[in-house]
Amino acid sequence: MLLTLIPLLTLSVYLFLAVKIFEDDKVAYVFDSSSNVSGAMASQVKAQLNSLLNEAKPLFQDYLTNNEFTAQSRLIFSSGADLEAVVAFPWNAEHNKFEKSVWVEKTPHATEGILLGLEKFLPEYLTELEQSGRLVKVPYLDDRLFIFEKIKGEGESKGIVFLVIASLPEVAEMFRAQSSQKLYLISQAGTVLFGPDRSAGTQLQALFPLRFLDNKNSKVAQGAETLTDTHNTEWLVSYSRAGFGDLLVVSSIEKKRALGAVEILIRKSLIFFGVLLAVTAIISLLASNSLTGALTQLFEATRKVAEGHFDIRVKVKSSDEVGTLADNFNLMAAEVSRLLDETAQKARMESELQTAKTVQETLFPETEAKIGPLSIAGYYEPASECGGDWWHYCQVGQKIFLWIGDATGHGAPAALITSAAKSASTIIERLNINPAQALELLNRSIYDVSKGRIMMTFFLASFDPETGELTYANASHEAPFLMKKSEQPLKKKDLIPLNEVNNPRLGQARDTKYKQTTVKVDPGDMILFYTDGIPDIRNAQKETWGEREFLKALISVNKDYPSAQQSIHRLVQLIQDYRQGEVLVDDVTFFVVKNDASV
Amino acid sequence: MPKFEMKTNKAGEKLNVVMSGSIDEDADFTQVNLGGAAQIEIDMGGLKSINSCGIREWIKWMGAAPSAKITFNNCPKVIVDQINMVDGFLPANAKVLSFFVPYYNDESGTEKNVLFRMGTEFTENAVTPPAEVKDDEGHPMEMDVIESKYFKFIKK
Repeated sequence: MLLTLIPLLTLSVYLFLAVKIFEDDKVAYVFDSSSNVSGAMASQVKAQLNSLLNEAKPLFQDYLTNNEFTAQSRLIFSSGADLEAVVAFPWNAEHNKFEKSVWVEKTPHATEGILLGLEKFLPEYLTELEQSGRLVKVPYLDDRLFIFEKIKGEGESKGIVFLVIASLPEVAEMFRAQSSQKLYLISQAGTVLFGPDRSAGTQLQALFPLRFLDNKNSKVAQGAETLTDTHNTEWLVSYSRAGFGDLLVVSSIEKKRALGAVEILIRKSLIFFGVLLAVTAIISLLASNSLTGALTQLFEATRKVAEGHFDIRVKVKSSDEVGTLADNFNLMAAEVSRLLDETAQKARMESELQTAKTVQETLFPETEAKIGPLSIAGYYEPASECGGDWWHYCQVGQKIFLWIGDATGHGAPAALITSAAKSASTIIERLNINPAQALELLNRSIYDVSKGRIMMTFFLASFDPETGELTYANASHEAPFLMKKSEQPLKKKDLIPLNEVNNPRLGQARDTKYKQTTVKVDPGDMILFYTDGIPDIRNAQKETWGEREFLKALISVNKDYPSAQQSIHRLVQLIQDYRQGEVLVDDVTFFVVKNDASV
Repeated sequence: MPKFEMKTNKAGEKLNVVMSGSIDEDADFTQVNLGGAAQIEIDMGGLKSINSCGIREWIKWMGAAPSAKITFNNCPKVIVDQINMVDGFLPANAKVLSFFVPYYNDESGTEKNVLFRMGTEFTENAVTPPAEVKDDEGHPMEMDVIESKYFKFIKK
């Protein structure tokens, strides 16, 4: 609605202002034009009448000189084309008034009758003449114009009044001409001398209230006014003083006719305005419906999103800002939806990984144990939720089996292989077999599970408490270090890698055969089993611990041949001191076995 | 991790391969086909690291030339460790012609890699380390490995 009203209001204001400006401009133009016309007419009248007077002045002079119109005057008179008659009214002291004496005339005996007809008006005329010195009258409804001119000779107190009668058909015709603009030649009293439509002889004030006539002493030569006649019709009236007697030329035009073009403009503008308004209203309504419809859709969609329905989409096809907003909303909703899915997926996976971690933890033995003469202590920390390292110990008959392995990579896939290894070991434990045979079975199990994609290094040893012999087989795993008990503190050269046999990793080939060998583990001797994650430990500065530091630490913590538990605790402490909380890059597993049998 | 790269030069049946970078699961060995080469010389001096996935790819790649005579040169410690630990990393038809042995001086902290060459510092079943290794300032350096572990592949 607002979108419709605003253009409507704007266009209305525009139309009003445009019409007002145009009307004012048109009025000004009409005033200007009619003033020019009245001015031109006034000039022409003045020139014509002055010309008449100029023709008559020799006659005036002749009469003043000779007290009659001589033959020369009559000759001059006869050559004046417009002059009808010139009459002299000298002062009759006896009668105390101006009285006609002599005259010259074009039409013989015509003047006598005219003067008789004027006789009753003459006193009034002469009274007016006393005030103005020059009087112009059109006493008959024809083209004749009467000029009363009073001339005083030297030493005369009253002077002589001359009446010049002239026929001015061209001038009269100019004022009678029919057009939208009416011209009047009037006297200061408002009497129409010449004018259209039989107006001659009437008072122009009867038509319009001519305010400019009110001030008889006004020196304003030209002016214009908007006047309302008795019929309530507005007229645009302009006037110009002729500068001859009290004559004025008045031009009038009905305002309605003058502003006819404005009315046409208004009519056409109204039609255009109506069409424009209709089109604007239709477009506004369509745009409004489109806009509000799209916004309503967006509002509904955002409400649904707020309720948690992120699969909502809006169908707005416009290419404007609302369309872009709708597209962005759809993108946002899709992205939120995707992120929610991902988050849910991630949460599910994390939950599953947590479950796997919990399950995998059950694959590992107690970190400290005492089986027969062997003390065992271990440590395990995966690099992520699940790890690829696994260690284990168990007693099979009289023998104690020690297991450690490291699957390719780490994380869930590697953890699954450790699970397979644990399962296989559970069965193998029930068999009375040696480490080499156990690795063969374990290899086959890993290979069948991973199909050669994931492998596992493995070291398996069995300790016979009876003989003190450790029999081991290796599937490419880091060789454990045997630390022989000595009276001297442990040194680097005392670290004996158990690497006399080595064979391919578990899972590399299905039918791999494994060799085994035997080494003596005397009372007091210790063995460190570990995976390759230890040297890869990094500190907060991303510096790797390295093999050298690892071996130094190993020697340091075991220099006094401590218990297996002490050995592990010391090594863990050194590792944590170095790491300073830094995450692991690989799983870390190690355990120490000590033969605590008495000598 | 520096990217793994291989540069090859084949002259007749002899193929020279120069390796650099890190061998991991992204290492692409298929870019060099070992088939058809009777003699393969691999310079490993530029290798920086290798992980368990890289070892798997390596063994698979080495298996593509079962009959070729393969020699390894300038093996860094990371490779020697794998040769010693992973059975099959050094194929039966391959020999190490030279490898680096790390030395260090514990007091000054200086490190140095000394190249052991076949016929000079080691033979097919024995190692004869240099009588003395000194750092740039003349300090004596000791071998930074456990010999029985590091030289195991020679005594096999």
